[in-house]
Amino acid sequence: MTAALPPSGPLACLGMACTLGTRRLFSDLEFTVESGQWLMLTGDNGSGKSTLLRIIAGLIRPDAGAVHWQGAPRRAGDPAWNAAMLYQGHATGWKELLTARENLLQQAWLDLGPDADHPAGVQAALDRVGLGRQRDLPFLRLSAGQRRRVGLARLAFSQRPLWLLDEPNTALDTAGQALFADLLDTHLAGGGCAIVATHLEVPSQRDARVLRLQAPVRPRQAALLA
Amino acid sequence: MNRSVTAHRVRDTPVHDPLAALWHACSRDLRLAMRSKAELALIVVFFVLVMTLFPLGVSPEPKLLERIAPGIAWVAALLASLLSLPRLFATDHADGTLEQLVLAPAALPAVVAGKVLAHWMTNGLPLVLLAPLAGLQFGMSPEATITLVAGLALGTPSLSWLGAVCAALTLGTRAGSALLALLVLPLAVPILIFGAGAAEAVASGLEAGAHLSLLGAGLIVCWVFGPFATALAVRIAYE
Repeated sequence: MTAALPPSGPLACLGMACTLGTRRLFSDLEFTVESGQWLMLTGDNGSGKSTLLRIIAGLIRPDAGAVHWQGAPRRAGDPAWNAAMLYQGHATGWKELLTARENLLQQAWLDLGPDADHPAGVQAALDRVGLGRQRDLPFLRLSAGQRRRVGLARLAFSQRPLWLLDEPNTALDTAGQALFADLLDTHLAGGGCAIVATHLEVPSQRDARVLRLQAPVRPRQAALLA
Repeated sequence: MNRSVTAHRVRDTPVHDPLAALWHACSRDLRLAMRSKAELALIVVFFVLVMTLFPLGVSPEPKLLERIAPGIAWVAALLASLLSLPRLFATDHADGTLEQLVLAPAALPAVVAGKVLAHWMTNGLPLVLLAPLAGLQFGMSPEATITLVAGLALGTPSLSWLGAVCAALTLGTRAGSALLALLVLPLAVPILIFGAGAAEAVASGLEAGAHLSLLGAGLIVCWVFGPFATALAVRIAYE
Protein backbone atom coordinates (compact mmCIF):
# COMPACT_ATOMS: atom_id res chain seq x y z
CA MET A 1 0.00 0.00 0.00
CA THR A 2 1.22 3.46 -0.81
CA ALA A 3 1.23 6.26 1.71
CA ALA A 4 -2.07 8.08 2.26
CA LEU A 5 -3.01 9.92 -0.91
CA PRO A 6 -4.86 13.18 -0.65
CA PRO A 7 -8.55 12.34 -0.94
CA SER A 8 -9.93 12.81 -4.42
CA GLY A 9 -13.24 11.99 -6.04
CA PRO A 10 -16.59 12.24 -4.35
CA LEU A 11 -15.94 9.23 -2.15
CA ALA A 12 -12.59 8.28 -0.68
CA CYS A 13 -11.79 5.66 1.94
CA LEU A 14 -8.50 6.22 3.72
CA GLY A 15 -6.57 3.74 5.85
CA MET A 16 -9.66 1.74 6.70
CA ALA A 17 -9.24 -1.11 9.17
CA CYS A 18 -11.77 -3.27 10.89
CA THR A 19 -11.55 -6.22 13.27
CA LEU A 20 -14.65 -8.16 14.24
CA GLY A 21 -14.00 -10.25 17.33
CA THR A 22 -10.66 -11.95 16.65
CA ARG A 23 -10.92 -11.72 12.87
CA ARG A 24 -9.13 -8.91 11.12
CA LEU A 25 -11.34 -8.26 8.13
CA PHE A 26 -9.13 -5.70 6.42
CA SER A 27 -6.58 -3.05 7.22
CA ASP A 28 -5.03 -0.14 5.33
CA LEU A 29 -7.83 -0.31 2.81
CA GLU A 30 -7.80 2.70 0.47
CA PHE A 31 -9.87 3.46 -2.58
CA THR A 32 -11.75 6.27 -4.26
CA VAL A 33 -14.89 6.26 -6.36
CA GLU A 34 -15.37 9.03 -8.91
CA SER A 35 -18.63 10.45 -10.24
CA GLY A 36 -20.07 8.20 -12.92
CA GLN A 37 -18.00 5.28 -11.66
CA TRP A 38 -18.95 2.20 -9.73
CA LEU A 39 -16.95 -0.09 -7.54
CA MET A 40 -17.73 -3.79 -7.53
CA LEU A 41 -17.01 -5.28 -4.14
CA THR A 42 -16.37 -9.00 -4.23
CA GLY A 43 -14.84 -11.58 -1.96
CA ASP A 44 -15.69 -14.81 -0.19
CA ASN A 45 -18.52 -15.09 2.27
CA GLY A 46 -17.42 -13.52 5.53
CA SER A 47 -14.66 -11.47 3.93
CA GLY A 48 -16.19 -8.21 5.18
CA LYS A 49 -18.13 -6.83 2.21
CA SER A 50 -21.24 -6.04 4.22
CA THR A 51 -19.16 -4.69 7.09
CA LEU A 52 -17.30 -2.35 4.76
CA LEU A 53 -20.57 -1.04 3.34
CA ARG A 54 -21.97 -0.52 6.82
CA ILE A 55 -18.82 1.31 7.87
CA ILE A 56 -19.07 3.65 4.88
CA ALA A 57 -22.77 4.22 5.57
CA GLY A 58 -21.90 5.13 9.15
CA LEU A 59 -23.64 2.28 10.95
CA ILE A 60 -20.42 0.71 12.26
CA ARG A 61 -17.35 2.50 13.55
CA PRO A 62 -14.11 1.27 11.96
CA ASP A 63 -11.00 0.58 14.05
CA ALA A 64 -9.08 3.08 11.99
CA GLY A 65 -9.48 5.17 8.88
CA ALA A 66 -11.86 7.75 7.55
CA VAL A 67 -14.40 8.19 4.80
CA HIS A 68 -14.23 11.42 2.82
CA TRP A 69 -17.19 12.64 0.86
CA GLN A 70 -16.58 15.43 -1.66
CA GLY A 71 -13.22 16.18 -0.12
CA ALA A 72 -14.31 16.51 3.48
CA PRO A 73 -14.46 13.83 6.17
CA ARG A 74 -18.01 12.66 6.62
CA ARG A 75 -19.48 12.36 10.09
CA ALA A 76 -21.49 9.20 10.75
CA GLY A 77 -25.11 10.06 11.49
CA ASP A 78 -24.85 13.58 10.06
CA PRO A 79 -28.22 14.31 8.35
CA ALA A 80 -26.39 15.99 5.46
CA TRP A 81 -24.38 12.81 4.88
CA ASN A 82 -27.51 10.66 5.15
CA ALA A 83 -29.11 12.89 2.54
CA ALA A 84 -26.30 12.16 0.07
CA MET A 85 -26.19 8.39 0.47
CA LEU A 86 -28.57 5.49 -0.09
CA TYR A 87 -27.78 2.29 1.79
CA GLN A 88 -29.62 -0.93 1.13
CA GLY A 89 -28.50 -3.87 3.22
CA HIS A 90 -29.49 -7.49 3.66
CA ALA A 91 -32.39 -6.60 5.90
CA THR A 92 -34.19 -4.68 3.22
CA GLY A 93 -36.31 -2.48 5.43
CA TRP A 94 -39.75 -3.40 4.16
CA LYS A 95 -42.69 -4.06 6.44
CA GLU A 96 -44.48 -7.36 5.91
CA LEU A 97 -47.82 -5.89 6.93
CA LEU A 98 -47.76 -3.07 4.39
CA THR A 99 -48.18 -3.44 0.65
CA ALA A 100 -45.33 -2.88 -1.79
CA ARG A 101 -46.78 0.51 -2.65
CA GLU A 102 -47.20 1.62 0.97
CA ASN A 103 -43.69 0.48 1.81
CA LEU A 104 -42.28 2.50 -1.06
CA LEU A 105 -44.36 5.54 -0.16
CA GLN A 106 -42.89 5.49 3.34
CA GLN A 107 -39.39 5.19 1.92
CA ALA A 108 -40.04 7.83 -0.76
CA TRP A 109 -40.91 10.33 1.92
CA LEU A 110 -37.55 9.69 3.58
CA ASP A 111 -35.62 9.50 0.28
CA LEU A 112 -37.08 12.39 -1.68
CA GLY A 113 -38.06 14.91 0.95
CA PRO A 114 -41.55 16.11 1.84
CA ASP A 115 -42.17 18.25 -1.24
CA ALA A 116 -41.84 15.64 -3.98
CA ASP A 117 -44.84 14.02 -5.67
CA HIS A 118 -44.50 10.61 -3.99
CA PRO A 119 -47.52 8.70 -5.36
CA ALA A 120 -46.59 9.46 -8.97
CA GLY A 121 -42.92 8.67 -8.41
CA VAL A 122 -43.69 5.41 -6.65
CA GLN A 123 -46.18 4.39 -9.32
CA ALA A 124 -43.66 5.04 -12.10
CA ALA A 125 -41.00 3.10 -10.18
CA LEU A 126 -43.34 0.14 -9.63
CA ASP A 127 -44.22 0.05 -13.32
CA ARG A 128 -40.56 0.22 -14.25
CA VAL A 129 -39.64 -2.81 -12.16
CA GLY A 130 -42.70 -4.74 -13.31
CA LEU A 131 -44.63 -4.76 -10.04
CA GLY A 132 -47.52 -2.59 -11.27
CA ARG A 133 -50.01 -5.42 -10.78
CA GLN A 134 -48.66 -6.58 -7.41
CA ARG A 135 -48.52 -3.13 -5.85
CA ASP A 136 -51.44 -3.68 -3.47
CA LEU A 137 -50.47 -7.16 -2.31
CA PRO A 138 -49.19 -7.36 1.27
CA PHE A 139 -45.44 -7.61 1.22
CA LEU A 140 -45.38 -11.05 2.85
CA ARG A 141 -47.18 -12.52 -0.19
CA LEU A 142 -44.44 -11.47 -2.62
CA SER A 143 -41.81 -13.94 -3.77
CA ALA A 144 -38.12 -13.50 -2.98
CA GLY A 145 -37.43 -12.07 -6.43
CA GLN A 146 -40.39 -9.72 -6.23
CA ARG A 147 -39.13 -8.48 -2.88
CA ARG A 148 -35.78 -7.70 -4.47
CA ARG A 149 -37.64 -5.84 -7.20
CA VAL A 150 -39.26 -3.63 -4.56
CA GLY A 151 -35.70 -2.72 -3.60
CA LEU A 152 -34.99 -1.92 -7.27
CA ALA A 153 -38.09 0.29 -7.33
CA ARG A 154 -36.51 2.30 -4.54
CA LEU A 155 -33.41 2.74 -6.71
CA ALA A 156 -35.65 3.83 -9.59
CA PHE A 157 -36.96 6.89 -7.77
CA SER A 158 -33.92 7.69 -5.68
CA GLN A 159 -31.85 10.71 -6.65
CA ARG A 160 -29.12 10.49 -4.05
CA PRO A 161 -25.59 10.61 -5.50
CA LEU A 162 -24.04 7.63 -3.68
CA TRP A 163 -25.49 4.13 -3.65
CA LEU A 164 -24.22 1.54 -1.18
CA LEU A 165 -25.87 -1.72 -2.18
CA ASP A 166 -25.38 -5.06 -0.48
CA GLU A 167 -26.12 -7.87 -2.95
CA PRO A 168 -29.00 -6.10 -4.65
CA ASN A 169 -29.16 -8.62 -7.49
CA THR A 170 -29.47 -11.95 -5.69
CA ALA A 171 -32.73 -13.86 -6.31
CA LEU A 172 -33.38 -11.85 -9.48
CA ASP A 173 -34.13 -13.47 -12.83
CA THR A 174 -32.20 -12.55 -16.00
CA ALA A 175 -34.57 -9.74 -16.82
CA GLY A 176 -34.15 -8.49 -13.26
CA GLN A 177 -30.36 -8.52 -13.60
CA ALA A 178 -30.64 -6.44 -16.77
CA LEU A 179 -33.07 -4.09 -15.05
CA PHE A 180 -30.63 -3.59 -12.19
CA ALA A 181 -27.80 -2.88 -14.61
CA ASP A 182 -30.03 -0.42 -16.45
CA LEU A 183 -30.89 1.39 -13.21
CA LEU A 184 -27.21 1.50 -12.30
CA ASP A 185 -26.29 2.93 -15.72
CA THR A 186 -29.00 5.57 -15.39
CA HIS A 187 -27.67 6.52 -12.00
CA LEU A 188 -24.06 6.73 -13.19
CA ALA A 189 -25.05 8.69 -16.31
CA GLY A 190 -26.74 11.21 -14.03
CA GLY A 191 -23.47 11.82 -12.23
CA GLY A 192 -23.92 9.37 -9.38
CA CYS A 193 -21.51 6.78 -8.04
CA ALA A 194 -22.06 3.41 -6.43
CA ILE A 195 -20.44 0.66 -4.43
CA VAL A 196 -22.09 -2.70 -5.07
CA ALA A 197 -21.24 -5.83 -3.12
CA THR A 198 -22.08 -8.77 -5.34
CA HIS A 199 -21.06 -12.26 -6.42
CA LEU A 200 -22.81 -12.00 -9.77
CA GLU A 201 -21.83 -10.36 -13.02
CA VAL A 202 -23.65 -7.07 -13.51
CA PRO A 203 -24.39 -6.52 -17.22
CA SER A 204 -23.67 -2.82 -16.91
CA GLN A 205 -22.45 -0.82 -19.90
CA ARG A 206 -19.94 0.89 -17.67
CA ASP A 207 -16.84 -0.89 -16.52
CA ALA A 208 -16.54 -1.40 -12.83
CA ARG A 209 -13.47 -1.05 -10.74
CA VAL A 210 -13.21 -4.26 -8.79
CA LEU A 211 -12.18 -4.44 -5.16
CA ARG A 212 -11.69 -7.99 -3.97
CA LEU A 213 -11.59 -8.50 -0.21
CA GLN A 214 -9.42 -11.38 0.95
CA ALA A 215 -10.58 -13.94 3.44
CA PRO A 216 -10.02 -12.63 6.96
CA VAL A 217 -6.73 -13.29 8.70
CA ARG A 218 -6.55 -13.94 12.41
CA PRO A 219 -4.27 -11.38 14.11
CA ARG A 220 -1.99 -14.13 15.46
CA GLN A 221 -1.66 -15.63 12.02
CA ALA A 222 -0.97 -12.22 10.57
CA ALA A 223 1.75 -11.65 13.15
CA LEU A 224 3.36 -14.97 12.25
CA LEU A 225 3.27 -14.10 8.55
CA ALA A 226 4.80 -10.69 9.09
CA MET B 1 -31.50 1.54 -23.04
CA ASN B 2 -31.21 5.00 -24.52
CA ARG B 3 -34.36 6.07 -22.72
CA SER B 4 -32.59 5.67 -19.40
CA VAL B 5 -29.49 7.65 -20.28
CA THR B 6 -31.49 10.89 -20.55
CA ALA B 7 -31.93 10.63 -16.81
CA HIS B 8 -32.27 13.16 -14.06
CA ARG B 9 -29.12 14.48 -12.44
CA VAL B 10 -28.48 13.15 -8.99
CA ARG B 11 -28.99 15.42 -6.03
CA ASP B 12 -29.05 15.26 -2.24
CA THR B 13 -32.32 14.85 -0.44
CA PRO B 14 -33.35 17.94 1.52
CA VAL B 15 -32.83 17.37 5.24
CA HIS B 16 -36.17 16.85 6.96
CA ASP B 17 -37.68 19.26 9.42
CA PRO B 18 -37.62 17.58 12.88
CA LEU B 19 -41.37 18.03 13.42
CA ALA B 20 -42.13 16.54 10.01
CA ALA B 21 -39.84 13.60 10.78
CA LEU B 22 -41.58 13.13 14.14
CA TRP B 23 -44.98 13.07 12.48
CA HIS B 24 -43.80 10.73 9.74
CA ALA B 25 -42.48 8.18 12.23
CA CYS B 26 -45.61 8.50 14.38
CA SER B 27 -48.09 8.06 11.52
CA ARG B 28 -46.10 5.14 10.16
CA ASP B 29 -46.25 3.28 13.47
CA LEU B 30 -49.93 4.11 13.93
CA ARG B 31 -50.68 2.67 10.50
CA LEU B 32 -48.75 -0.49 11.36
CA ALA B 33 -50.61 -0.76 14.67
CA MET B 34 -53.91 -0.52 12.81
CA ARG B 35 -52.80 -3.48 10.65
CA SER B 36 -52.35 -5.68 13.71
CA LYS B 37 -55.36 -4.83 15.83
CA ALA B 38 -55.08 -8.06 17.82
CA GLU B 39 -51.94 -6.69 19.46
CA LEU B 40 -53.79 -3.52 20.44
CA ALA B 41 -56.64 -5.54 21.93
CA LEU B 42 -54.13 -7.63 23.88
CA ILE B 43 -53.10 -4.66 26.03
CA VAL B 44 -56.68 -3.71 26.81
CA VAL B 45 -57.75 -7.27 27.60
CA PHE B 46 -54.69 -7.76 29.80
CA PHE B 47 -55.44 -4.59 31.79
CA VAL B 48 -59.11 -5.52 32.28
CA LEU B 49 -58.23 -9.10 33.25
CA VAL B 50 -55.69 -8.05 35.89
CA MET B 51 -58.17 -5.57 37.33
CA THR B 52 -60.79 -8.33 37.49
CA LEU B 53 -58.52 -10.91 39.06
CA PHE B 54 -57.62 -8.82 42.12
CA PRO B 55 -61.09 -8.82 43.74
CA LEU B 56 -61.24 -12.56 43.16
CA GLY B 57 -57.84 -13.15 44.67
CA VAL B 58 -57.71 -10.63 47.54
CA SER B 59 -61.19 -10.19 48.97
CA PRO B 60 -64.52 -8.91 47.71
CA GLU B 61 -64.80 -6.51 50.65
CA PRO B 62 -65.72 -3.07 49.18
CA LYS B 63 -63.80 -0.96 51.75
CA LEU B 64 -60.54 -2.83 51.15
CA LEU B 65 -60.96 -2.80 47.36
CA GLU B 66 -61.58 0.94 47.30
CA ARG B 67 -58.37 1.48 49.27
CA ILE B 68 -56.13 -0.67 47.08
CA ALA B 69 -57.76 0.26 43.75
CA PRO B 70 -55.27 2.97 42.64
CA GLY B 71 -52.31 0.73 43.38
CA ILE B 72 -53.84 -2.14 41.43
CA ALA B 73 -54.69 0.11 38.48
CA TRP B 74 -51.13 1.42 38.37
CA VAL B 75 -49.47 -1.96 38.63
CA ALA B 76 -51.78 -3.28 35.92
CA ALA B 77 -50.93 -0.30 33.70
CA LEU B 78 -47.21 -0.80 34.29
CA LEU B 79 -47.35 -4.50 33.41
CA ALA B 80 -49.56 -3.86 30.39
CA SER B 81 -47.11 -1.28 29.05
CA LEU B 82 -44.28 -3.81 29.51
CA LEU B 83 -46.07 -6.27 27.22
CA SER B 84 -45.62 -4.23 24.07
CA LEU B 85 -42.21 -2.69 24.82
CA PRO B 86 -40.06 -5.40 23.20
CA ARG B 87 -41.80 -4.68 19.89
CA LEU B 88 -41.14 -0.94 20.00
CA PHE B 89 -37.74 -1.27 18.30
CA ALA B 90 -37.05 -5.00 17.98
CA THR B 91 -39.27 -5.71 14.95
CA ASP B 92 -37.93 -2.63 13.15
CA HIS B 93 -34.41 -3.75 14.04
CA ALA B 94 -35.02 -7.24 12.68
CA ASP B 95 -36.53 -6.24 9.33
CA GLY B 96 -34.12 -3.39 8.64
CA THR B 97 -36.57 -0.50 8.84
CA LEU B 98 -34.80 0.88 11.92
CA GLU B 99 -31.59 0.97 9.88
CA GLN B 100 -33.32 3.06 7.24
CA LEU B 101 -34.70 5.40 9.91
CA VAL B 102 -31.23 5.79 11.46
CA LEU B 103 -29.84 6.59 8.00
CA ALA B 104 -32.66 8.98 7.08
CA PRO B 105 -31.71 12.63 6.58
CA ALA B 106 -33.52 13.65 9.75
CA ALA B 107 -32.64 14.18 13.39
CA LEU B 108 -32.81 10.72 15.00
CA PRO B 109 -34.17 12.09 18.33
CA ALA B 110 -37.19 13.46 16.45
CA VAL B 111 -37.76 10.11 14.72
CA VAL B 112 -37.65 8.13 17.96
CA ALA B 113 -39.91 10.73 19.61
CA GLY B 114 -42.46 9.99 16.87
CA LYS B 115 -42.19 6.28 17.51
CA VAL B 116 -42.61 6.72 21.26
CA LEU B 117 -45.59 9.03 20.74
CA ALA B 118 -47.23 6.36 18.58
CA HIS B 119 -46.41 3.74 21.21
CA TRP B 120 -48.10 5.83 23.89
CA MET B 121 -51.15 6.48 21.72
CA THR B 122 -51.63 2.76 21.10
CA ASN B 123 -50.64 1.47 24.55
CA GLY B 124 -50.85 4.22 27.18
CA LEU B 125 -53.88 6.15 25.96
CA PRO B 126 -56.27 3.13 25.96
CA LEU B 127 -55.36 2.52 29.62
CA VAL B 128 -56.02 6.17 30.51
CA LEU B 129 -59.44 5.87 28.85
CA LEU B 130 -60.16 2.57 30.63
CA ALA B 131 -59.21 3.88 34.08
CA PRO B 132 -62.69 5.30 34.85
CA LEU B 133 -64.04 1.79 34.34
CA ALA B 134 -61.59 0.57 36.95
CA GLY B 135 -62.74 3.31 39.31
CA LEU B 136 -66.34 2.21 38.84
CA GLN B 137 -65.46 -1.45 39.31
CA PHE B 138 -63.72 -0.83 42.62
CA GLY B 139 -66.22 1.72 43.93
CA MET B 140 -63.79 4.65 43.98
CA SER B 141 -65.14 8.14 44.62
CA PRO B 142 -65.50 10.34 41.49
CA GLU B 143 -62.73 12.68 42.71
CA ALA B 144 -60.33 9.82 43.26
CA THR B 145 -61.20 8.40 39.83
CA ILE B 146 -60.48 11.73 38.16
CA THR B 147 -57.14 11.91 39.97
CA LEU B 148 -56.34 8.37 38.88
CA VAL B 149 -57.05 9.28 35.25
CA ALA B 150 -54.98 12.47 35.51
CA GLY B 151 -52.13 10.56 37.10
CA LEU B 152 -52.19 7.91 34.37
CA ALA B 153 -52.34 10.59 31.67
CA LEU B 154 -49.20 12.20 33.13
CA GLY B 155 -47.42 8.98 34.07
CA THR B 156 -47.93 6.59 31.15
CA PRO B 157 -45.98 8.74 28.64
CA SER B 158 -43.06 8.70 31.10
CA LEU B 159 -43.38 4.91 31.25
CA SER B 160 -43.23 4.82 27.45
CA TRP B 161 -40.05 6.91 27.46
CA LEU B 162 -38.32 4.84 30.16
CA GLY B 163 -39.34 1.75 28.23
CA ALA B 164 -38.04 3.18 24.96
CA VAL B 165 -34.57 3.92 26.35
CA CYS B 166 -34.34 0.43 27.84
CA ALA B 167 -35.80 -1.24 24.73
CA ALA B 168 -33.17 0.47 22.59
CA LEU B 169 -30.43 -0.57 25.03
CA THR B 170 -31.48 -4.23 24.88
CA LEU B 171 -31.61 -4.31 21.06
CA GLY B 172 -29.69 -7.21 19.62
CA THR B 173 -29.22 -8.97 22.96
CA ARG B 174 -30.46 -12.48 23.53
CA ALA B 175 -33.31 -12.76 26.07
CA GLY B 176 -33.90 -9.10 25.35
CA SER B 177 -37.47 -8.95 26.65
CA ALA B 178 -36.66 -10.52 30.02
CA LEU B 179 -33.74 -8.16 30.42
CA LEU B 180 -35.99 -5.30 29.41
CA ALA B 181 -38.44 -6.02 32.23
CA LEU B 182 -35.56 -6.14 34.74
CA LEU B 183 -34.29 -2.78 33.51
CA VAL B 184 -37.60 -0.95 33.31
CA LEU B 185 -39.37 -2.05 36.49
CA PRO B 186 -36.93 -0.44 39.01
CA LEU B 187 -36.88 2.77 36.98
CA ALA B 188 -40.68 2.89 36.95
CA VAL B 189 -40.95 2.74 40.75
CA PRO B 190 -41.09 6.54 41.32
CA ILE B 191 -43.85 6.93 38.73
CA LEU B 192 -45.80 4.13 40.36
CA ILE B 193 -45.42 5.65 43.85
CA PHE B 194 -46.51 9.15 42.88
CA GLY B 195 -49.24 7.97 40.52
CA ALA B 196 -50.89 5.64 42.97
CA GLY B 197 -50.15 8.10 45.79
CA ALA B 198 -52.11 10.86 44.06
CA ALA B 199 -55.32 8.86 43.89
CA GLU B 200 -54.85 7.50 47.43
CA ALA B 201 -54.33 11.01 48.78
CA VAL B 202 -57.60 12.19 47.25
CA ALA B 203 -59.42 9.08 48.50
CA SER B 204 -58.31 9.90 52.07
CA GLY B 205 -59.34 13.55 51.74
CA LEU B 206 -55.97 15.17 50.99
CA GLU B 207 -54.71 17.25 48.06
CA ALA B 208 -53.10 15.43 45.13
CA GLY B 209 -51.42 18.55 43.73
CA ALA B 210 -47.91 17.67 44.88
CA HIS B 211 -48.06 14.16 43.47
CA LEU B 212 -49.40 15.31 40.12
CA SER B 213 -46.81 18.11 39.89
CA LEU B 214 -44.04 15.59 40.41
CA LEU B 215 -45.51 13.32 37.73
CA GLY B 216 -45.73 16.31 35.39
CA ALA B 217 -42.13 17.26 36.15
CA GLY B 218 -41.08 13.69 35.40
CA LEU B 219 -42.95 13.84 32.12
CA ILE B 220 -41.16 17.04 31.10
CA VAL B 221 -37.78 15.55 31.99
CA CYS B 222 -38.65 12.47 29.93
CA TRP B 223 -39.61 14.51 26.88
CA VAL B 224 -36.50 16.67 27.14
CA PHE B 225 -33.91 13.93 27.68
CA GLY B 226 -35.75 10.87 26.41
CA PRO B 227 -35.33 11.54 22.66
CA PHE B 228 -31.58 12.08 22.94
CA ALA B 229 -31.01 9.14 25.29
CA THR B 230 -33.07 6.82 23.09
CA ALA B 231 -31.40 8.00 19.88
CA LEU B 232 -27.99 7.40 21.46
CA ALA B 233 -29.03 3.92 22.61
CA VAL B 234 -30.27 3.07 19.10
CA ARG B 235 -26.95 4.16 17.61
CA ILE B 236 -25.04 2.07 20.15
CA ALA B 237 -27.15 -0.93 19.16
CA TYR B 238 -25.72 -0.72 15.65
CA GLU B 239 -22.06 -0.37 16.59
